[in-house]
Amino acid sequence: MSPRQRLRHWFESRLPRSDSWTLTQRNIYIVPTRAGLMFALVLLVMLLATINYQLSLGYVLTFLLAGAGFVSMHLTHGTLRGMTLHLKPPASGFAGQPMMLEIVLAGAARDQHGVGLGFEHAPDRSHDVFVDVASGGQASAHLAFTPPARGLHVLPTLRVETRFPLGLFRAWSVWRPAATALAWPVPESPLAPWPASPSAAGEAAPQTRSSSGEFDGVRSYRRGDPLKRIVWKKVAKGGDLVSRDHVSAVQLELWLDWQHAQLPGTEPRLSRLAAWVVAAEAAGVPHGLRLPGIEIAPGAGTAHRRASLDALAAWS
Amino acid sequence: MKLLPHWPGWGHLPREARDALFLLAVIAWTIAPHFTHLPPWCLALTAGVVGWRAWLAVANGALPGRWPLLIALVLAMGLTFSTHRTLLGKDAGINLLVVLMVLKTLELRARRDAFVVFFLGFFIVLTNFLYAQSMAVALAMLASVWGLLTALVLAHMPVGRPPLARAGAVAAKAALLGAPIMLVLFMLFPRIGPLWAVPQDVVAKTGLSGALRMGGIAEVALDESVAFRVRFEGRPPDPDRLYWRGPVLGRFDGVEWARIEPNSVNAYVRGAELAVRGPAVPYEMTLEPSRLPLLPLLEATPATVEDRPRVEGLRTSLRADLQWMTDRPVTERLRLSARAFLEHRHGPLQDSLALREYTDLPPSFNPRTLEWADRLRSEPRYANATPEALVQAVLNTIRSGFTYTLTPGTYGDDEGRHAIDEFWLDRKRGFCEHFSTAFVVVMRALDVPARIVTGYQGMDIEPQDGWYVVRNSHAHAWAEVWLEGRGWVRVDPTAVVAPERVVQSRALRAPAGVVAGAIDAVNPALMANLRKAWERANNQWNQWVLGYSRNDQFSLLERMGWRSPDWSDLAYLLTALMSGAALAGAAWAWWDRHRRDPWQRLAQRLARRLRALGVEAQPHEGLQALARRVREALGPRAEALACRLDALDALRYGRDAIARPSRQWWRDFARESAALGSR
Repeated sequence: MSPRQRLRHWFESRLPRSDSWTLTQRNIYIVPTRAGLMFALVLLVMLLATINYQLSLGYVLTFLLAGAGFVSMHLTHGTLRGMTLHLKPPASGFAGQPMMLEIVLAGAARDQHGVGLGFEHAPDRSHDVFVDVASGGQASAHLAFTPPARGLHVLPTLRVETRFPLGLFRAWSVWRPAATALAWPVPESPLAPWPASPSAAGEAAPQTRSSSGEFDGVRSYRRGDPLKRIVWKKVAKGGDLVSRDHVSAVQLELWLDWQHAQLPGTEPRLSRLAAWVVAAEAAGVPHGLRLPGIEIAPGAGTAHRRASLDALAAWS
Repeated sequence: MKLLPHWPGWGHLPREARDALFLLAVIAWTIAPHFTHLPPWCLALTAGVVGWRAWLAVANGALPGRWPLLIALVLAMGLTFSTHRTLLGKDAGINLLVVLMVLKTLELRARRDAFVVFFLGFFIVLTNFLYAQSMAVALAMLASVWGLLTALVLAHMPVGRPPLARAGAVAAKAALLGAPIMLVLFMLFPRIGPLWAVPQDVVAKTGLSGALRMGGIAEVALDESVAFRVRFEGRPPDPDRLYWRGPVLGRFDGVEWARIEPNSVNAYVRGAELAVRGPAVPYEMTLEPSRLPLLPLLEATPATVEDRPRVEGLRTSLRADLQWMTDRPVTERLRLSARAFLEHRHGPLQDSLALREYTDLPPSFNPRTLEWADRLRSEPRYANATPEALVQAVLNTIRSGFTYTLTPGTYGDDEGRHAIDEFWLDRKRGFCEHFSTAFVVVMRALDVPARIVTGYQGMDIEPQDGWYVVRNSHAHAWAEVWLEGRGWVRVDPTAVVAPERVVQSRALRAPAGVVAGAIDAVNPALMANLRKAWERANNQWNQWVLGYSRNDQFSLLERMGWRSPDWSDLAYLLTALMSGAALAGAAWAWWDRHRRDPWQRLAQRLARRLRALGVEAQPHEGLQALARRVREALGPRAEALACRLDALDALRYGRDAIARPSRQWWRDFARESAALGSR
């Protein structure tokens, strides 16, 4: 680590983590941009020309621009000052795929323009997102964060910056959000065959609750039952939701087990399990998940899928 | 390819196209005043490139690559060199600036390119001041600077399609807030002389140039700028007696009049041989920078201790021809006081060989005039006439057939020879320099020593705050003849043909143009008033903006309580004020940190209150979400509180939304939440 990086690291580690960041004089930094330094040089040359040719209006022009440049420093600083940024906790997603961070900017006392948001350690600034914030209003910016691997990730350090209005100064603030992002394992591809046959699976084998494959009656609705199995006639008569208790509906109650994902290494196993969860959900098959120390009862639906994937993501 | 792209209307142009067109318009406006100074090829290039770039912007065409631009640049530099024979210097420099600026518009890609255009634009604005610093130019360039700053602001508003007016308002705000800084810097930044020599053509002003070429000027361009201001102790003398003496021109090469050479006998005559009579006229004078090493003092100001002008930082001396010189060109405004004697006599009383220099005429110039003089001399009644009689005879000739005009046309052949012949015998129309030069030539041809005196004559009739203004349009040329026993005697041939020019001391006035003539015909008083108001404004401009000099800076310090201020005082004051401005800026920022959106502030207070009641709110949650949380957490007993939150939501976002939260609402809410908390 170079001394410069070390310094930056130390500096960042001093910042408190928070999901809400109010920009004040204490955390806004401002320096002239390269264009600002050029501007100063241009003014100097103009002043020399003015002195040499004794141009009264040259003095007026040079000093007018100098005054405007000085004021622009305050305007640039004032663009950020007083604004509050909130980070909405991001939804979980698969590792390697971008997840959207929503940042809400509010509390501008004046109309502010050209407020840019980006990651402090991004290799370049081309992915910065710019927003305008109306006085007293809110604006939200969406930044794409791609978690590199499975697990719980601390969100990277954010930077909010502006060069408005003249681009002669750059004001910025560095913000360490407290929110975390949970990255699910990357689903294995291609999909491995389903867990082995019921007999081979022993305890985990799909269990048959009905003897016949025929329509068997109804039972009360369970979360995850597909819509087509709901007995709408009964519902219309004013009853609770009931589902047809069909053989096939229960025949494939799948247990996805750590033991079945026969792969060396933790991550490939988790990847395979994730792929099975995704596939089972897509196929509408209720599934349960068993990890060493964790068991999630069979079920289906978006919430169940998320719970399963979250468990895979957080497992260690 | 269609010649003109589809024009969707200004409001429907894509943002890039609109911004590019706006910037092109600003650039064209900035370059426009150079129209008369640029060679035709440069004008054609400018018009062509700007037009093409505008076409590309509207048609959304692709910009040319780097190589064609580079080739165009090299070509343009070659053309510049072949036009000006150099790439340095004022004209070539401006030419290059314009070429660079115009070609750069074809390369506007990154933000850095935009900055290059802005910086070049500011330079071009500055170069416009090399040619003119009038109020009109200043206003036009103010518009340019505003336009450039607006474009710069637009470049830093990356979101959506911000209206031009918004960017313009931000630019104006920056400039207006910066105006006090500009004012302080302008008033206190030490005015120092040129750091290195610059070509004099840039700064030379009309007025007294020390040389005179008769007939070369077809039309007098009137310069109403102030030459100097003067104040008299007691009643001012009549304007027709006021002759402000400048360079005395005694040498004539047939085309141009110049001073007697320093190695001539007459330059070495010691003392001015000046005898004064009558009462002294004490006067005070404020001289605008003339950039000439002389003082146009009232005739005659003697060199005695009590009469001579006293000026700080300048050595003055009186030449034998009664002209006051300084040891260096006057580049700042001067104030001086001196005493003059309107009645005086100067020059040798006895004829001497030295005076023969004043009857010299170059041979083979103006032969017909010399012939005319010979004929006059051979007339019987002038055979033994005194020089006085000859002067009267020539003045009578002028009185009886000459016309005073400011638009005489040019005289003389291509090289300016024989101009006097043409004036004296053929066309007989001219202004003071025609009359005085012709008179002197004729007098010399009659063997009377004569010379031309240039300077100013008269002054504005009405004083401004007790000061009488003498303008560059009061510049005048008259004659002096040497008469035995009387010395050099002033003769003003212009007064003979146009007495009002001298008697009423009317400054030279050009004939009115069409518009002015029409106004004049309808309402003469209005025209006069307009002119007066315009002149007053122009005077103020000249005095306070263009003529603001080192002396003004020091007198400003004196009024602020400094005793005999100098550079270091200026520097101290400037440093102190600038530090003050910086501190004020910091203080403003410090104070401003507390100034936040009132709704935001209210939201924080609300969050604190609710936390005290056990309701944890997320910072980004709205009022309705808060109300829901209150209902969930506290149940029916908090229904009133939740209703208040809903009401506030309506107050803020509803149909009759209010700009700031009402205090009454907060008091009610605080009371209720306190009651809930205590239960």
